[in-house]
Amino acid sequence: MEGDARGFRIAVCADALVNPEPGGLDALEVCRRTGFGVMQLPATWYPDDVAAAWLEQVAEQLDEYLRHGYDVVLVTRAGDPAGEQQRVALGAALRAIGHDLPPEHASEGDADALEEFLRSRPVPSAAR
Amino acid sequence: MTDSNPPGVAFVAHCLLNQNSKTDGGARCPGIYSPLVDLLRERGWRIEQMPCPEHAFLGMHRFWLVKDQADTLAFRRHCRRQAKVVAGAIAVHVERGTDVVVIGVEGSPSMGVRITSSSADWGGRPDKGDDDYPLVPGRGIFSEELVAELAERGLGDVRASGIEHQLPDYDEAAEREQISALLEQPRGR
Repeated sequence: MEGDARGFRIAVCADALVNPEPGGLDALEVCRRTGFGVMQLPATWYPDDVAAAWLEQVAEQLDEYLRHGYDVVLVTRAGDPAGEQQRVALGAALRAIGHDLPPEHASEGDADALEEFLRSRPVPSAAR
Repeated sequence: MTDSNPPGVAFVAHCLLNQNSKTDGGARCPGIYSPLVDLLRERGWRIEQMPCPEHAFLGMHRFWLVKDQADTLAFRRHCRRQAKVVAGAIAVHVERGTDVVVIGVEGSPSMGVRITSSSADWGGRPDKGDDDYPLVPGRGIFSEELVAELAERGLGDVRASGIEHQLPDYDEAAEREQISALLEQPRGR
């Protein structure tokens, strides 16, 4: 991919980490530092019909990345019951198209821990 | 519901948070397009990522294309399906009284807001290069479908603009001013 700067790495991030409360972990900033693109999950307080359709579309796009050797990870918020329900729903949407949930980092709010997780990922086969 | 009360919500084109969705040769950075995120963070605006119509429908290995090449009933139905989800999310925020803007990508055959691409000559052997990209005034296909979907829901006054980094003579400072003006513009204009 001459002249193309993509990182071949995607973090599927909980909305609460894309739009953090003041003082909360800003996953966008960590992903930017580590060269990850972000796919945002819907807010856990969205109506079920909106959230379900959103997750289905996330799964469809992830299928394309997973089939082509991009590194995909899931970044969630630890101890978040609504987030856990969403995680289960995303897993079902992915299983329906033949994929498992990607490797996950359940964040306790520590930016360094998230950065360490992202930097520990192997080189994606698409980038080799 | 969240307790946060942002001044507004920006629904942004997918690739602005994930440059991996771009066509080969189009990614300007590894993942996140910083200028827009920086501006929205500074203003305290909430960020919502729209889906990428082209990536989902045509895949990773699609060629560059102009609007005419994608303008089929099937692609429009795909875009409308995605637009319904975005419009549903927009409606949630509008009902809460939160300001909403849409930020697309100018020049894109699907995500253009004021500028898209069009040519009757594009097709067949993929031999077109950067210099030939035919920009024209108008919306991309997803933008058209989103506008139609919002209008059907009585949400026709959502403001929109586009990032211009794909255009010739791109000026980051001018773009920042333009997006700032969009965020500050009174609702309904």
